Amino acid sequence: MLEIQQITKRYQRKAALDDVSLSLKTGEIFGLLGPNGAGKTTLIRVINRIIEPDHGTVRFKGDLLKQKHLIHIGYLPEERGLYKNMTVEAHAFFFGALRGMTKSDIKQALDYWLNRFDIQSWRKKRIDELSKGMAQKVQFICAVLHEPELLILDEPFSGFDPVNVELIKQELVEMKAKGKTILISTHNMRSVEEICDRVALIHQSKKIMEGRVSELQESARVGEYAVKFRGTMIAFVNALWTGFELIDKEILGDDRFVARVKMRGDNQFEDLLKVLIGTVKIEAAWEVLPSMQELFINAVSVKEEIGK
Amino acid sequence: MRELRERIGSRSFVVMALVGPILVLSLTYLLFAIGENKQQSWKVLISDPRGIMENKIMPGEDKSIQYSFVSDYIEIADFASGKTYQDFDAMVEVNEKIITNKLSFVFYREKPSLNMTINIRYQIERRLEEILAAKFTKLSANDFRKIKQPLQMPFKNAYDPTEQSSDLAGWVGLFFGAVIFVFIFLFGMTILRSVSREKSNRIVEILVATVHPRALMLGKIIGVGLSAFIQFFVWAVIISFGLYLMRETVFVNGYDPANLAQNGTSVAYNEFVELIFERIQFSSMIGYFLLFFAVGYLFYGAFFAALGAVTGSESDGQQFLLPLIALLLFALYSGYYVLNNPETQLAQLYHYLPFTAPVVVMVKLAVGYPEGEGYQLFISLLILLVSAFAVLSLAGRLYKNGILQFGHSVRLKQLFQWLKMK
Repeated sequence: MLEIQQITKRYQRKAALDDVSLSLKTGEIFGLLGPNGAGKTTLIRVINRIIEPDHGTVRFKGDLLKQKHLIHIGYLPEERGLYKNMTVEAHAFFFGALRGMTKSDIKQALDYWLNRFDIQSWRKKRIDELSKGMAQKVQFICAVLHEPELLILDEPFSGFDPVNVELIKQELVEMKAKGKTILISTHNMRSVEEICDRVALIHQSKKIMEGRVSELQESARVGEYAVKFRGTMIAFVNALWTGFELIDKEILGDDRFVARVKMRGDNQFEDLLKVLIGTVKIEAAWEVLPSMQELFINAVSVKEEIGK
Repeated sequence: MRELRERIGSRSFVVMALVGPILVLSLTYLLFAIGENKQQSWKVLISDPRGIMENKIMPGEDKSIQYSFVSDYIEIADFASGKTYQDFDAMVEVNEKIITNKLSFVFYREKPSLNMTINIRYQIERRLEEILAAKFTKLSANDFRKIKQPLQMPFKNAYDPTEQSSDLAGWVGLFFGAVIFVFIFLFGMTILRSVSREKSNRIVEILVATVHPRALMLGKIIGVGLSAFIQFFVWAVIISFGLYLMRETVFVNGYDPANLAQNGTSVAYNEFVELIFERIQFSSMIGYFLLFFAVGYLFYGAFFAALGAVTGSESDGQQFLLPLIALLLFALYSGYYVLNNPETQLAQLYHYLPFTAPVVVMVKLAVGYPEGEGYQLFISLLILLVSAFAVLSLAGRLYKNGILQFGHSVRLKQLFQWLKMK
């Protein structure tokens, strides 16, 4: 769907993007991660043709990205903005018309989304009559109204309460199921884990990591496991002896715990289970993979250490 | 279209489109109503102890003034407070040396309108001329008046003696030019505020992701300009219709030059009236006025749009607005300069310089181009048009590069860098 090849962008002597390449497939949700000032927004603006790169190309469905392709792209910028004295309906008609939609199509799409979010009563309200969260919902609707093939969302969950975050996530998953491609730039790592198929991490203008979420997590596994059991903590710890290291514990009740354990030496998960069976009553056990947040922090920290 | 729809659909536009002309017409009505007779008729007492006027007064068209003569000298206090003269609205004191000192006081109860003052002066003066002519000459009163006419001294171009130029015409042109620049300033500020607002509320990022920044800027300039034209057109229609109605109904005699001439108004005033009603070719001038307004607006509008896009804060905007205002004021000054120095090289320069051309061309149009030199107008228009395109192109670069920059201070170095970036 989208091929970003060796994009470089400099502002005076500072590199905002340095030889960044990405590839987005049809029907996937791609997470663009990175600390503040890494170059994510610059990359997004290059894709939207807001700014031109110094080097590199962007291809949309095989063709060099041109102005005509922008009607197939939906964009929700991080800095939200709407016309304060225009109504929700007027915004929809304005942005729909900009993207080449007919009035009847706009009306149909608007009806769908207002029903979807259960906000039909907002149709004639002006933006300055809405709260920030409500206005952001309107902006989201304006970004997806024309059913773009590629949807670019910069911090889409920012400003929403947990209920609306879930609502937006559901919508994105449904869009993906319909074959849409979604690029999300976010710091909300939990959402990344939940809905992104692949991610890329940009740090100090360079791409330092890319891959499927599960693959990245598995590649960074550190041999940690969680065990949920019924029994005493003392018995559990005694059973571990020297072959395993207790990292953390969580008390669920008087005699129920979740313990995080790290393997030592050549010990495997099966060895852990062998020592625990009979000592405590195991209810569940699973491998603890590093979260995207941990991966993010580790990758950025390592990079900064190398840089020093 | 969004820009145009937002402006003409707004309550303030509709209010100003209607309230503005109503205010202008009301003001016009008040001005002329004050000038008209406050009372339907006046009774004027002429105190003529020496009988100089022989109880006679020149008959006039205005029957609203009734004169009565008294051969006694009346004290002012008596006239003011005495019961005998309460019916009279004013007293004219004809002193015994009026023939030589040409001085006569008029004492009124209520300040008369301008019209009333002119009528009384005119009728008394006509009578005195008749007396003078009879007493000191063998001429009839009419012959005496012909001799009495002030000297006419028109200035003519030695190379084209038939050329009909007029200082007054130049002032009318300057007025047209000033109107152009007032509108350019008002609607230029609208462009600047609109661009700044879109920048500050961040909606511009979505807009430039869909529409080319240059197209966005041009659309804004054209949208605001069209709303200006519509407002101007509505004003012109309502004011013209209102003035026509006033002339036909309320001030039937007031606007008629023939009536004014008969009442003895000044030659200069008559010349002005003749200028307005006869000499200035408003039909062609309105056409060029609209043309130069449109192109001048595009030229200056680009500056306002670029300024709105590059400023990072409101204070920066104000700081950089001052040079732009100075340019506009300079343009107005150039019109005044050309009015007084029409043949200088500097006047020629101002005629072609795009910053000053709209106002200078209006002045020259009103005065009239010399025979065979009308092509200068088209050269000026062409230069202005080319300049407008050039400035729009440069402004487009500044708009594109500056519109998504926030919170910065504008530096000239930065502006030049943005101009170099495509």
